Amino acid sequence: MSRLSPYLLSCAFLTAAILLSIAIGSVFIPPTDMGRILTGWFFAASLPESLQTFAFIIVSIRLPRTVLVLLTGAALGGSGAAYQGLFRNPLADPYLIGVASGAGLGVAAALSIQWPYTFWGLLAVPLAGFLAAMLTILLVYSLARLGKTIPTTNLILAGVAFSAFATSLTSLLMLRSTGELRRAFGFLLGGYTQAGWNPVLTILPFLAIGLGFLVLNGHTLNLLQFGDEQAQQLGLPVTRAKTIILVAASLATAAAVSFSGVIGFIGLIVPHVMRLWFGADYRRLLPLSIIGGAGALLLADVIARSVLSPQELPVGIVTALGGAPFFLWVLRKAKNQGYW
Amino acid sequence: MLKIEGLTVSYGARRVLGDVSLEVNSGEVTALIGPNGAGKSTLVRAVSGVIPLKRGIIRTNGIDLTALPPMPRARHLAVVPQAVSLPPAFTVWETVRMGRTPYLNFLGQTSAKDEEIVRLALQKVDVLDLAGRRVGELSGGEGQRVLLARALAQSTPILLLDEPTSNLDMHYQVNFMELVQGLAHNDKLAVLIALHDLNLAARYADRIALLVDGKIKASGTPLQVLTPELISEAYHLHVKVIPHPFADVPLVLPGND
Amino acid sequence: MFRKLLVALISFAVLLAACTPSATPVPQPPSTTGPLPSTTEVPSTPAPTVLTFTDGLGRTLTFTGPAQRVVSLAASNTEILFAVGAGAQLVGRDEASNYPEATTSIPTVGGWSGFSNEAIVALKPDLVLAGGINPPELVAALEQLGLTVYLLPNPATLEELYTNLETVGKLTGHIAEAAALVESLKGRVAAVDAKVGSIETRPTVFYEFDATDPTKPYTYGPGTFGDLLIQRAGGDNIGAHLNGQWVQVSLEQLVIANPDMILLGDAAYGETPEKVAGRPGWETLSAVKEGKVFPFNDDLVTRPGPRLVDGLEALTMLLHPELFK
Repeated sequence: MSRLSPYLLSCAFLTAAILLSIAIGSVFIPPTDMGRILTGWFFAASLPESLQTFAFIIVSIRLPRTVLVLLTGAALGGSGAAYQGLFRNPLADPYLIGVASGAGLGVAAALSIQWPYTFWGLLAVPLAGFLAAMLTILLVYSLARLGKTIPTTNLILAGVAFSAFATSLTSLLMLRSTGELRRAFGFLLGGYTQAGWNPVLTILPFLAIGLGFLVLNGHTLNLLQFGDEQAQQLGLPVTRAKTIILVAASLATAAAVSFSGVIGFIGLIVPHVMRLWFGADYRRLLPLSIIGGAGALLLADVIARSVLSPQELPVGIVTALGGAPFFLWVLRKAKNQGYW
Repeated sequence: MLKIEGLTVSYGARRVLGDVSLEVNSGEVTALIGPNGAGKSTLVRAVSGVIPLKRGIIRTNGIDLTALPPMPRARHLAVVPQAVSLPPAFTVWETVRMGRTPYLNFLGQTSAKDEEIVRLALQKVDVLDLAGRRVGELSGGEGQRVLLARALAQSTPILLLDEPTSNLDMHYQVNFMELVQGLAHNDKLAVLIALHDLNLAARYADRIALLVDGKIKASGTPLQVLTPELISEAYHLHVKVIPHPFADVPLVLPGND
Repeated sequence: MFRKLLVALISFAVLLAACTPSATPVPQPPSTTGPLPSTTEVPSTPAPTVLTFTDGLGRTLTFTGPAQRVVSLAASNTEILFAVGAGAQLVGRDEASNYPEATTSIPTVGGWSGFSNEAIVALKPDLVLAGGINPPELVAALEQLGLTVYLLPNPATLEELYTNLETVGKLTGHIAEAAALVESLKGRVAAVDAKVGSIETRPTVFYEFDATDPTKPYTYGPGTFGDLLIQRAGGDNIGAHLNGQWVQVSLEQLVIANPDMILLGDAAYGETPEKVAGRPGWETLSAVKEGKVFPFNDDLVTRPGPRLVDGLEALTMLLHPELFK
């Protein structure tokens, strides 16, 4: 494969997914009308009355939703690849050290309060999720730190322990809540409750920084595959590098999770597929996982919006139902190739 | 050359290396021998900087290596660890290319010169024809040589090896040690190699240091160190030392009279 | 140096995130006027009376005329709309809306697993009637799309229910019908009160609405209409002494309390008196032994609409059949 084609292929996939996401929704927009709308925009012509509602739906509803899904998918794909590289574990996913369970706890706690109907009041629940997620990372990191090093095993253990703790607290909160059980549950199953451009603008800086740092650390992740000792012997300041990657990946994940809920399998499977098809070099794997994650989640979201239309299936269910068999297939192929 | 002065390493309260002083000269292979648990591996790892020192200084040509951060340090010494659980998905070329890290920017971009150095390293160790293969498909001996190539790509004057021959069968052991010896004698590297096999040490090392319970018990030429008294005491086993049948080195045989 | 850069970048990101909100339009608390401007021309006659409301989210909304195209996001709202005579103005409903029959022909826009904003927009409503059951994010999202949303709060008493009925009447231009409905409901409730005032005993009632775990079924506690209506119908709700609105009762507590009557609010999910009699341990309850286990339409005590009065009457008939001989 030429050096360019992985990016071309992935971008083509993403573009197709974006178009699909804009074209499909619970309101059927005939392809001919869609074509007329698009050409109308292209030539800056004013649209006839009959198409204005469709155009409004595309611009004000589907477009922001598409971008939000794209961003959260990118965050999950990228941080999934980073976590797999950081922990040298094929089962690692963005929720390994507790981001999801921390966010879930924050959300469940926030849902038990009646927030005022203001800008900040409406942002309270996702914000609580985000802050809780970042606090979790801080806590797990501090628990795992051993002098000047952060052994990955400690991180995983601390993360798993905290996750168990947070999950049971969340279950308790949900049981004791009255009407908010369904909303908390909806968060845990993964889904998009907030609409419009606000969520996009809110998470964009965090994703830009988080994913930006990750993409720049491809070589670092390659070195870390040899273990902390060898990486340091090759010249990498290991503790600092791991901290940066951990913070960057967790930042992106926390921001995504606050608005998308807990969507599984994207962060786990997309990096594996990319690795299988395009190799294990993280300098390439990271950007490809970001693009692939965005496309994959867009596809899952289209399915989630179509299957029960006009209701929506929680996206996390679609990724799990579709992801699990796909993952098994990938694993089978991987074993044959001996690539992990 | 490498000067280790008063190296002391502790794991908590337990002292693992006590006041170890050793000189490794350029152009020589210095073998580190001793029973399991003596601290050979710890010494190599401590010198490379991945284990914190309680006390001691490591110098090369007057530069204090212990004060250096990992990147500059990696330009002075390179380590060949045991070839176990290498990331299987990287190719041989990609793995050896990692050795150029101390000279690359953080993005890991290599220049034509870097790639040439990688190629030379592969060639020297005779794994150039394996360059495109994934490391996971290689045999133990091949993998170990790849790690040697990686260390060579690091272009350092000092080479540290941590029991590289322990998992290799005879053919590869000899093969590997000849390579290492050549690197020291021909390329004038200062080589410190922790070895399990006393006779390999006898055969290929210019100097031997015997490490027992974290302390250097003896240091000198193979003849000087591989004596029945020293070895028997160190290994708690009666040994006999005879002249090697076809090499001008001692041969250590375990067992009693 | 690198660390400082990292801290600076993260602080910048936080600042950026804190500042970006001002770039987007905020759902404004003050008035939104409906109906949606469409292709109809502005009337030349002076504007009719402007109506101002404060909805369940504390927002003030003003309307220049009754809503003609209403989307209902809650089953209770649908029932209220039909009851005040605004059924013809309903253009979209949620999937749970199943009463009266006429609703089934109206297109759905979502349900328990979320709503489709675009389906709602496509119906071009001039009023979206949300309920306490809908999350505030949904209201905000629809508002941002330019729709007028009114959230009818969940009533806690029958009086608050009457207020809701009148509000919907005003919103849809059926003020007189709403008033008549409220009068009729008040009359029926007064009739029940009169009958119940004459009783001597109050049977104890266990109202079950979820028995997924038969050893710990759910019942209505204080603060729910289920509890309120049972009391009003002349019964003693076992759940009234418990903490919380939807509470679990253990089988042991049930045996001790030994209610005179068991009502199966989960009959719609397949629970029957026979099944209940078959549950291990339940056969000891007097209600089971005497055959005083009855199925009950849970919607009549949970949907905050006019059928709550139907529920009250049904409960009274079950609890005090002697009053109706």
